[in-house]
Amino acid sequence: MLACLLVLHRPNYGYALLEVLQQHGFTVDANTLYPLLRRLEKQGLLTSDWNTDESRPRKFYRTSAEGAALADTLSDDWNSLHTAFRSLRGAS
Amino acid sequence: MTTLTDRYVETTLRRLPPRQRPDIERELRASIEDAVEARVAGGEDQSVAETAVLTELGDPARLAAGYADRPLYLIGPALFVDYTRLLTVLLSSVVPIVAVIAAVVRVVDGAPFGTVLGSAISAALTTAVHIVGWTTAVFAVLERTGARWSPDEGRPWTPDALPAPASRRTRRSELIIESVATVALAAVILWSPSLKLKLDGSGEPIPVLDPWLWDTGVVYALVALVLASLFLTFARYHAGWRPVLGVAGGLAQAAPAALLVWLAAQEHFLNPAFIAATGWPEQATRWITPALIITGAVGILSALFETIRHARRG
Repeated sequence: MLACLLVLHRPNYGYALLEVLQQHGFTVDANTLYPLLRRLEKQGLLTSDWNTDESRPRKFYRTSAEGAALADTLSDDWNSLHTAFRSLRGAS
Repeated sequence: MTTLTDRYVETTLRRLPPRQRPDIERELRASIEDAVEARVAGGEDQSVAETAVLTELGDPARLAAGYADRPLYLIGPALFVDYTRLLTVLLSSVVPIVAVIAAVVRVVDGAPFGTVLGSAISAALTTAVHIVGWTTAVFAVLERTGARWSPDEGRPWTPDALPAPASRRTRRSELIIESVATVALAAVILWSPSLKLKLDGSGEPIPVLDPWLWDTGVVYALVALVLASLFLTFARYHAGWRPVLGVAGGLAQAAPAALLVWLAAQEHFLNPAFIAATGWPEQATRWITPALIITGAVGILSALFETIRHARRG
């Protein structure tokens, strides 16, 4: 979820997002990702627009201000957890 | 021609609320086409690619549940503990009571042992199925409507929320009151034939309770049940709450009440001669039987609630 919020700082659509995440080593299934995007949108963490410029209309998602704030908080949490693990490993 | 994708999308949408359908359909179709296109670009055959993409997406029911944010379980972790606890208490208290009542009714009818046993088992099974079915249904609805069982939900939990053990003194005074009341009740029942409330023509007292009770010995069973319930109350007081003891105590409290209901229904509790001698108007005497039955029913229910309350307190 955090990965979605981070990647979607630049607007993107479902299938492309799936590819980006997989390229970066996140194993996520399509049937998990698509519903997740809609849930995040419903919670106001993402905004969406239909892009009909191309031959195939696609729904582009983008992280909202609220989503970005949450992403910062979650990143901090993640970092402090990471630091905690590192110090644990260093201590043993 | 309907393609595999059409059928997949349609199956998924059928499980979604209508107002979400058009938007999800567009997005889902675009996503599937994107994925198929990518595979075809990688050198796969069109139909092979389509099958592979849909296989990867998995069961449409699962996908639809994800879109609709619908739980894929009947009773979730938030309610599960309450669910099992309530079910345990209900099954361990109601089922034996019903089985005993069914058996007693058959015995009174003079049925052979096999019939008595059969009725008891079938009544117990039917009751158990009903209890499990309805409890599960109610909890499944609670789960889906988002209602929460505990009124404390949303308040942070603190150790203060732990149930306070009833102080030993209050429990002691309850115990004393119950003992005195029980012994007095038993005494009144046993001595009632010689109570001189109404006298017949020859100056002999007319018994308040039906002499049938003494002729059959049922009155001693009633007194024994009342005393057994007192004994179990003492046992609960000294041993603390244990499931077996708690359920046995609840049963013992319910049993005299159940017997009262049955006696009233058979018109075998009060002495008809006594009622006639009181000279009460007929309208009043007609209500005596229903009143006794209601009293007994209230007794059974209070025993049940008491058991549930103790079980919840743990």
